[in-house]
Amino acid sequence: MNENLFASFAAPSMMGLPIVVLIVMFPSILFPTPSRLINNRLISIQQWLIQLTSKQMLAIHNQKGRTWALMLMSLILFIGSTNLLGLLPHSFTPTTQLSMNLGMAIPLWAGTVITGFRYKTKASLAHFLPQGTPLPLIPMLVIIETISLFIQPMALAVRLTANITAGHLLIHLIGGATLALINISVTTAFITFIILILLTILEFAVALIQAYVFTLLVSLYLHDNT
Amino acid sequence: MLQNLVKSVWVPMKPYYTQAYQEIWLGMGLMSLIVYKIRSADKRSKALKGKIFASSKGGGQKTPSYFLRTRCPMA
Repeated sequence: MNENLFASFAAPSMMGLPIVVLIVMFPSILFPTPSRLINNRLISIQQWLIQLTSKQMLAIHNQKGRTWALMLMSLILFIGSTNLLGLLPHSFTPTTQLSMNLGMAIPLWAGTVITGFRYKTKASLAHFLPQGTPLPLIPMLVIIETISLFIQPMALAVRLTANITAGHLLIHLIGGATLALINISVTTAFITFIILILLTILEFAVALIQAYVFTLLVSLYLHDNT
Repeated sequence: MLQNLVKSVWVPMKPYYTQAYQEIWLGMGLMSLIVYKIRSADKRSKALKGKIFASSKGGGQKTPSYFLRTRCPMA
């Protein structure tokens, strides 16, 4: 039972070769490059959604911050599509792997911090001490702010990993419970099945929300540093 | 194929890769340094565990000193 529960999170391989790279690249097929001024329905809907998201997300940024528009939109599309594809039965979700999420969080967070130190050195250093701090508390608060800065990429990665992994585990457990209860009590199995459906709807929402939260936080870190 | 790749990927993305994402490249370098440090530490600790296990299995052999264990994993 324990081995089966976490078997779906193991990196997949086919005939001994790892196919994680193919799985990570797969969502890009679902977003075709628009080749005409007026495209088909799928591309038009995707373009409309991207425009809606980018307008909302980039409204707070100045010119320097808006150079990250392509990166932020690619990020939210990738994480959202990967999370949604992971809800298909027996599929592998790359965003359940902490290594993958750290690989996204660390370069982006470091990019925002280095941007801040490069273009606004004084303002970036000033972030380590909130305004109006009493004099005796300054050393401790500088240490606390430094720790909170270095925890940001860890929090980004672990938040996404934990949310997606927990959701998949719950679906797995409640699905197993539903199957086991069919032979014992059909009414209880039906109630568990209703819970499973509600949980799946919740996981669809969580998949999109986590993509939005990840991208929004990177955008906020960028806004603080530009 | 390379020409097609350059035309379709490098040419439109050149201003991003060369100017906009400079700091992100530095972040990727930092991440690869962290990955290298973690993997080398893991390799070193596994080699050390293997050596201690082999020496305890052999019996009668002297355990390598702390200096040798930490600085010369192949000793």
